[in-house]
Amino acid sequence: MKLAPSSLRRSLRAVRDDESTDGGRAQAAGEEAPAVATELAGRRAGPNYVVEAYDLTKIYDNRYIALNALNLRVRKNSVYGLVGPNGAGKSTAFRLMLGLQRPTAGEIRVLGRPMGAESAELRRRIGFLPTAPAFPRHMTPISYLQFVSKIVGLPAERAKIRMTTLLQSVDLTDVASQRIEGFSTGMETRLGIAAALMNDPELLVLDEPTYGLDPPGRRQMIELIRELSGRDRTIIIATHILNDVERVCTDVGVIAQGRLIYDGAMAEMRRLARQNSITVEIEGNVASFERRIPELDEPGSVRWERVGSEVRITFLRANAVTEYLKRLLDLVERSGVELLRLDTGTHEVEEAFLRRLEEDRSRGVLRAPDWAAQEGALEPGAEEADRGGGSRSGAA
Amino acid sequence: MQAYLYLLRLDMEQLARSWLVRIWILLLVGPAGFFVVVAANQRELASETLAAYVAAVLAPLSWLVVAVLSASAVNGEADVIADSILSRSVTRRAYIWSKFTARVGVFLAVYVVVTVPLVYLVLRFAVDDAAIEGIVWGLLTVASLLVFLAAFGIALSAIFRNMLASVLTVLVSTVASGAVFQFLALDWMSTTGVVSGLPETFRGEVSVAEQLRVLVVFGVLSVLATVFGIAWFRRKDL
Ligand SMILES: Nc1ncnc2c1ncn2[C@@H]1O[C@H](COP(=O)(O)OP(=O)(O)O)[C@@H](O)[C@H]1O
Ligand SMILES: [Mg+2]
Repeated sequence: MKLAPSSLRRSLRAVRDDESTDGGRAQAAGEEAPAVATELAGRRAGPNYVVEAYDLTKIYDNRYIALNALNLRVRKNSVYGLVGPNGAGKSTAFRLMLGLQRPTAGEIRVLGRPMGAESAELRRRIGFLPTAPAFPRHMTPISYLQFVSKIVGLPAERAKIRMTTLLQSVDLTDVASQRIEGFSTGMETRLGIAAALMNDPELLVLDEPTYGLDPPGRRQMIELIRELSGRDRTIIIATHILNDVERVCTDVGVIAQGRLIYDGAMAEMRRLARQNSITVEIEGNVASFERRIPELDEPGSVRWERVGSEVRITFLRANAVTEYLKRLLDLVERSGVELLRLDTGTHEVEEAFLRRLEEDRSRGVLRAPDWAAQEGALEPGAEEADRGGGSRSGAA
Repeated sequence: MQAYLYLLRLDMEQLARSWLVRIWILLLVGPAGFFVVVAANQRELASETLAAYVAAVLAPLSWLVVAVLSASAVNGEADVIADSILSRSVTRRAYIWSKFTARVGVFLAVYVVVTVPLVYLVLRFAVDDAAIEGIVWGLLTVASLLVFLAAFGIALSAIFRNMLASVLTVLVSTVASGAVFQFLALDWMSTTGVVSGLPETFRGEVSVAEQLRVLVVFGVLSVLATVFGIAWFRRKDL
């Protein structure tokens, strides 16, 4: 695992401003990693944060660094989306949050107290849905939820009522007395969420809650999460598909290679990461066409990428797309190339943001994502990072 | 405490449902009846009959079953432990302790249920040459071996991630230990040593000190295995 130079890392770090209580949370970039840790440590007051991780590090037995000094805080009553590509360390963070594993270094506090293997009382206030949860195969949803209610110490009467309600809300009433053995992944996920809700938890930790669900199932799950959010409940959702949770999350943290590279309000992230783009496929002298793209707009307003005969132009500012399109078609005419295809579109957060992270990861560098460039903090070298194959890119 | 009791009950139920346990009981009871009938007809000595039953049926069969059931107790359900049990309000200690007590409890229960009626019938229908204290000592000694085997197996199942590895380790190391004890002239500590001395024990010919020595050694070993297994499991990454 390679680390970015500290200047780069600095710009990657967008620490949420805690003083502003309303939605407007400015990005206080420019904090060194240790400085962030001490700053966070200085204010570990607790009650406002349901989960606090300070320099949380997990190195597995095979020396793999799954979490690399992760600093993370989740506000009380928020719906926090922990987003990152597969292998980013989301599930590892959750396992540490539940005391299933021990951190190699750093500290993890949940509901104001340190979490550890023996923190059973603390876990009584948490509901956890693992990815593809494992159940005792011989049980049925009813006997399983009974089992859960027993180990969380729920009185039998209340357990019965809750069970009926929950089985209904996850749509498992029909199969409530069938053995779990024959269930589909989606059914298991739904049973898992019912189990996580048995103790009416203050904190709900969901690891890929849409795993194995078909599109209607996904929508239903999101709806369920939305219903669950609100008063006196904090929800943390890990996912690699941001689109799934985008509409329910109030806050979002982006994790890559075991580090939090973005942390802020969902609304802010949406603004930063959603980008308009135009893709053109042309025939003829593509190189000469590409050279003239900067003429179309002011410097810094778009960036483009060329792959073969395809050029994708991404708007970095709220450009007037219509005007730009006119100028672009004009350029097509002037440079005498043939236009084969033209697409416009909005990259959702997931695509624009996470795909870039994934690309960077495969190249082994951590790079400032576009929101950093947009804020005028374009790092030298970030754009020059060479691209393999027949593609190159530039910023106008 | 509540979680512990519930997990204890659950594991006992699970064992009671297990086919391995049912077959084990059947294979213990069938031959026991046969031994009683033969002893009654042939006017065999009670001490020899009981010892022969332990050596030929009870010891080898229980060794296999207890090794398998204990050495797979924890790692056999590793994914369920993390997802469904220890991520909820259960302490590591409550979980692992429930495994130790449930399994040892069920093994001892099966042992008692089989041996006590057998002893009664053998004393009644065979030639009664046994001493009651001798029989109690003898059964206690065999029980202590059983308990140690179970504790050792459960401890290994909490340490090893791979079920096959822990089961094989228990089987191989118990066989190997017999040879090692023989070599060290510590016959009394080996299973074969204990079993071959049973006729004398049942007749009350072995001194209390010698009996106590075996019980204490296996008792201490069981406690050590249990303590180590629990300590390890409490620190383990799931
Ligand atoms: N027990 C383990 N031993 C070694 N490596 C592990 C273990 N668990 C996870 N990893 C590795 O740590 C990385 C992070 O895993 P995980 O936290 O599951 O990521 P995510 O949930 O974000 O997909 C992955 O590369 C994974 O292979
Ligand atoms: Mg995961």
